[in-house]
Amino acid sequence: MTEPVRNDSAMKKILLLAFVEENGALGKPALEALSGACELAQAFGAALNVGLIGEFAQKAADSIASCGANQILAVQGPEFASARCATDSAAAVALIRAAEADFVLAPQTTRSARCMPGAAFRAKGRIDTRITGLRVDEGTLLIQRWYYRQRMVAELTRSQRPWVVLLEPGVFSPWSGGGGHAEVSIVPVEPVETRTRIAGIEPASAGTQTIRPDADLLFVAGAGWTKKQADGEVHVEEAENLIRNFLDLTHASLGSSKSLVDQSGEGQKVISLLTHMHQVGQTGSTPRHPKGLATCCHGEEPHVVGWRFINERRAVNLDPNCGWARGKADVLYVADAFAVMGKVIELLGKDAGQAAV
Amino acid sequence: MESGYHIVVCGSLVPDPLQTLEPDVGPKGPALKNEMVLPSVLDPWAAHALYEAAHLAKEYAGSKVWLVSVGPKQRLQQLMMTVAQKAPFSFVPVDGSASGFCDPFETATALANAIGAIPDLDRSRLLLFGGYASASRDAGVTLQVVGEMLGITEVFLAVDSLSVSENGEISLLERVEGGNYLFSECDCPPLVVGWATGHLPEPPNNPQIGMANMRSIMPALQKAPQVQVGAEGVSFAKVELPQQQRTTRIVKDVPVEQIAGEIVAWIRG
Amino acid sequence: MGPDLEKGTENPVDRLNLDVDIACVGFGPAMGGFLTTLAREMEQASGEPHVQSTVLPGMPLQVVCYERADDVNFGVSGLVTEARAIRNTFPDMNPSEIPLAHPVSEERIVYLLDPHGASRRSLGLRIADSAIRGLRWVLPYRRSALELPFIPPFLKKHGGLVMSIGQFMQWVSNQVSSSGMVQIWPGTPVGEPILEGKQVVGVRIADQGVQKDGTPDVGYMPGMDVRARLTVVGDGPVGAVGQRLDEQFGLPEGHHQHDWAVGMKVVVSLPDHCDLVPGTVLHTLGYPEPEIFGFLYVHPERIASLGIFVPSTLASPVRTVYRYLQHWMLHPYLWHHLEGGTLRSWGAKTLQESGRLGEPYLAGDGYARIGEGSGSTNVLTGSGVDEAWMTGVLLAEGVIDLLKKGEPFTQANLEAAYTNRRRKSWVETGSRKAQHARDGFRKGFVTGVLGMAVSGLTRGALNLKTRSAHPREGIPDLNQYYRDRISSEELQRIREECAKNAIPLHDALMTRAGWPEIPLDGKLLISQQDALLLGGKVQAAPGFADHVMFVDPAVCEQCGTRLCIEACSAQAIAPSPSGGTPEFDREKCIHCGACIWNCTQPRPGDRERGNIRFYAGAGGLHSAEN
Ligand SMILES: Cc1cc2nc3c(=O)[nH]c(=O)nc-3n(C[C@H](O)[C@H](O)[C@H](O)COP(=O)(O)OP(=O)(O)OC[C@H]3O[C@@H](n4cnc5c(N)ncnc54)[C@H](O)[C@@H]3O)c2cc1C
Ligand SMILES: Cc1cc2nc3c(=O)[nH]c(=O)nc-3n(C[C@H](O)[C@H](O)[C@H](O)COP(=O)(O)OP(=O)(O)OC[C@H]3O[C@@H](n4cnc5c(N)ncnc54)[C@H](O)[C@@H]3O)c2cc1C
Ligand code: SF4
Ligand code: SF4
Repeated sequence: MTEPVRNDSAMKKILLLAFVEENGALGKPALEALSGACELAQAFGAALNVGLIGEFAQKAADSIASCGANQILAVQGPEFASARCATDSAAAVALIRAAEADFVLAPQTTRSARCMPGAAFRAKGRIDTRITGLRVDEGTLLIQRWYYRQRMVAELTRSQRPWVVLLEPGVFSPWSGGGGHAEVSIVPVEPVETRTRIAGIEPASAGTQTIRPDADLLFVAGAGWTKKQADGEVHVEEAENLIRNFLDLTHASLGSSKSLVDQSGEGQKVISLLTHMHQVGQTGSTPRHPKGLATCCHGEEPHVVGWRFINERRAVNLDPNCGWARGKADVLYVADAFAVMGKVIELLGKDAGQAAV
Repeated sequence: MESGYHIVVCGSLVPDPLQTLEPDVGPKGPALKNEMVLPSVLDPWAAHALYEAAHLAKEYAGSKVWLVSVGPKQRLQQLMMTVAQKAPFSFVPVDGSASGFCDPFETATALANAIGAIPDLDRSRLLLFGGYASASRDAGVTLQVVGEMLGITEVFLAVDSLSVSENGEISLLERVEGGNYLFSECDCPPLVVGWATGHLPEPPNNPQIGMANMRSIMPALQKAPQVQVGAEGVSFAKVELPQQQRTTRIVKDVPVEQIAGEIVAWIRG
Repeated sequence: MGPDLEKGTENPVDRLNLDVDIACVGFGPAMGGFLTTLAREMEQASGEPHVQSTVLPGMPLQVVCYERADDVNFGVSGLVTEARAIRNTFPDMNPSEIPLAHPVSEERIVYLLDPHGASRRSLGLRIADSAIRGLRWVLPYRRSALELPFIPPFLKKHGGLVMSIGQFMQWVSNQVSSSGMVQIWPGTPVGEPILEGKQVVGVRIADQGVQKDGTPDVGYMPGMDVRARLTVVGDGPVGAVGQRLDEQFGLPEGHHQHDWAVGMKVVVSLPDHCDLVPGTVLHTLGYPEPEIFGFLYVHPERIASLGIFVPSTLASPVRTVYRYLQHWMLHPYLWHHLEGGTLRSWGAKTLQESGRLGEPYLAGDGYARIGEGSGSTNVLTGSGVDEAWMTGVLLAEGVIDLLKKGEPFTQANLEAAYTNRRRKSWVETGSRKAQHARDGFRKGFVTGVLGMAVSGLTRGALNLKTRSAHPREGIPDLNQYYRDRISSEELQRIREECAKNAIPLHDALMTRAGWPEIPLDGKLLISQQDALLLGGKVQAAPGFADHVMFVDPAVCEQCGTRLCIEACSAQAIAPSPSGGTPEFDREKCIHCGACIWNCTQPRPGDRERGNIRFYAGAGGLHSAEN
């Protein structure tokens, strides 16, 4: 069923493909990918083009006017304002064709993840996703990606063109050159037939949003918070207050363990902030933050694989033999998390008060 | 008029996630060390897709569920022992590699061919289900490409909920950034749904379902077509285990105040 | 209160029914032999009337097998085997097709001396040890161990195979299932036999969607009743179905199940410097306690299976296996080979060591029993797999006979077709020779070894017989056991300390009694909980009832020697913070069955059993290498 793909390994025309945010700007992941694209264009002496998709592209194009792109192409219109596979993939393939790209770099976002595989297929190319590193070695581009749920890491290259690569956040620093006026060539797209309407965005859990991908700190709450404590009682409400206060004070992103999020819906007292989306680990998410603090979490391997991209790791656990002790954290505090977090909040609160003065 | 959905679930085996995995790079590219001795399970998100499919099929009379898997025949046979008691389905096995190191396009080609060959599949009622990413490759590409090959461009990825309104309109919640859901409505099938966890617990083992499934599973396995699934055009420079061992400083028997102070300083630092 | 039995009568629920011809419980070697033989006949005689189903006319015999563990390859065993019966079934078997299998290449029996002076050795043994040490220049003595110059013929495994039971059973299941003739369903614990009068009419699958105490919860699915013309029980030494049958029918006159052992093993990636060749078979005795036997078998690809057996005759009230296993691996003789190795897998399981004397009624109306639960294990030669396999083959042959004759599966018919066959087989002659071989151990290690030698060398003609008693009767209390090593005040202090932290006593006591601390290295020497995680990958699916139940809490309250806690292979039974009935954690249990016979108190109204009832549960070990 597949048609032959090009196989000449060229890297002459590089396309940075990005979706314009609702406010008309380019998000951090897009700017990071732009940095990557600029580096590659230089390394290969290739032409760099930028392709934008969104309701309006001009503002975004202006913001990167000095990036050195040969041309900035765009597909725009109300039907491209928000994520929908049918329209997005039609737009993406139109840009790839218009730019005659042999290499396409796009940020790994939920929007690109949905539509780019189809676009790569239609452009008769191939795609690699979740790329955590790019490296040029003797004129060959090597991409880094993980296999078996963060258990092993590989470097590979591919000969098919166009080659579409989705880049994970955090690999490059966001492009930060100057803006200006950019010339945008609008690429027409045939009207797309779709049966799908976008009804909007809604938070997974009611109340405050506690998953904050941009936060500096990941705070993991484990099942210990809902377990019987030294006094033989459970203290779920106290736990929830501590967690909530800590998050309010630090703006940390909240993560959890499978054991804890699985408790929801089983009729027992649970921490209401948590949903399955908070689960970190093998069957959960692999968030990226510079720091992570685990509390009341045992640090078992299936959980800790989700910490692959957390640089500095600390844990508070009563058990000196818990998983964190075995080379999974930089520091393990053997202590009661209720007491420690209470005190942490007190200290943070004091400082917050002072800062306000 | 015929009613109900034709739900095709794409999903194959992955090593039991509890196992210790190590890569082994040989002349034929990378593979898992001792792959033969590793027990396997149905890919977790594909498993959710199967449970959701079974649930929908039960709700909408006239529906039918197929499970299409590309994997080594013997191991698929073994896998069926743990899966076939979970939900009623027709099994469509394809004998080929289920390695995470295969290219999703090649897996998708094998799947699309197998789906294309299912007799009596009504595309106007087709829901193409699967896990939104596999636990082996974790690419999140296969389903969309199968969709393209079958001419379906309504794609929903990382879905946690699918519901059908009175008039047959399908509402979906997809996981997007920041712990949010993208809420979409689709008029009617066919569509592609890459499931995340969904909302259903793993169904209990039901021996009766198992017996019924197995009658068609064994013959299907015997007839399973053989395909080459690899990663043409891809060259692996290296595959290795990450260095993850840190030197842990264990702070014990220290007053809470001191610990809290240290943590606060670290958060700030 | 039990999760399955009682509820059915108190509060009848709608159970689904499934009719089959033959229902099988447990997929161990015994069932492997049974199903392979039966499936072959069904294939060869396909279409003939005797292999036609009577419950589903027009279809072949409906044969289903239910296995408790989450996969068919999660069993635990050594395993070196002569493989007589297995080779007979698979004459063309090529060991290289089965991962981890290798022909036996070298055999050694080694007597380990105690390098720390911490084990309990009788005066006689200490004198013998001194003599060995004194003569070490002339004896084959190395690294605190004496390599026996010869191997008694009854222990020889030459011509046999070293295997992984997990890989072997996976291979067997592939052979059997691909015939399409029988179905094997892992992840499906059988709760109990269904009895109508004295007849077994099928089995009831364990309930799902229940709380820990067995009461219905969300998603409640009452276990299905699988009705069958014949029920084949091969659920091993501690299977729930076999136990229920024993409770129901008792044991034949003169039989008892008083001798047990728990075998704990690890699978290890050997370090680069290790020069043991594939197929090497090492057996040890003498250390860490004289009664503890050890084994080390070398697989291909620098992998070895090794472990120890802690028998019920080891009269210790803190009969812990895990710590002993670590001391054993650290013995200089073994550590020389193991140092730098990495643990790949870990597991434990009970062995029924009464062997032939523990044999239950082999057949009754509608059922037959095979494998270790039917007393097939040969306690003299230390082998159970081939014997279990053979009993399965014999039953299959008997069943095929009855099918051909169109005769029903009554007790009389099964006895004629199966029990008689078994009586005439080598399994029977072997186990008769062995039946008193271990009796001597009740009187201590030296008598034990002598007894084994006498039985072995005279082929069972001469035996050192002793009176048999429930294992609990040999267990002294803590004060008595440690009277020459730890003062009673200190014992009391250690007890209180451990009770406060809700942890077992054995670590503190062993250290205090002179055992060195284990130098954990994070690779092979790891904590017991890490072994659960790294080696056992233990998991328990939600929705099943607790399968370990304390029958009468009052008995536990009064129990002084809580051996169930000390002996638990996985620290799944822990002291309760309140000090009463211990607490059971299903998530950690590896279903080894040791708690059943390690309970030190008789069950009210049944002195042959302890205060723990063992039901059928799902989950446990997730390793295919054991
Ligand atoms: C196939 C599979 C996939 C899995 N995927 C995931 C996954 O994606 N993510 C995941 O998280 N897990 C996953 N798991 C489960 C994982 O193995 C663990 O069971 C889980 O992570 C344990 O969660 P926990 O550490 O929160 O709970 P527990 O293991 O119950 O640990 C609770 C901890 O809290 C501590 N504690 C209790 N009270 C206090 C206190 N007052 N102060 C300090 N510490 C305290 C205890 O000492 C203990 O260490 C998976 C398992 C399997 C089998
Ligand atoms: C550490 C160790 C080392 C050993 N080494 C050797 C050796 O080197 N050589 C040798 O020949 N023998 C050895 N043995 C003994 C050998 O493993 C046993 O004799 C043999 O496995 C018995 O086979 P079986 O089929 O009767 O029972 P098992 O192997 O016990 O199989 C019974 C099966 O039934 C299942 N089951 C139990 N209850 C239920 C239920 N309610 N519902 C469904 N399924 C159930 C169990 O999960 C199990 O899979 C060793 C044993 C141990 C523990
Ligand atoms: S189960 Fe037996 S050994 Fe354990 S506490 Fe109860 S009576 Fe004592
Ligand atoms: S509780 Fe489980 S692991 Fe512990 S002894 Fe009993 S069966 Fe073995």
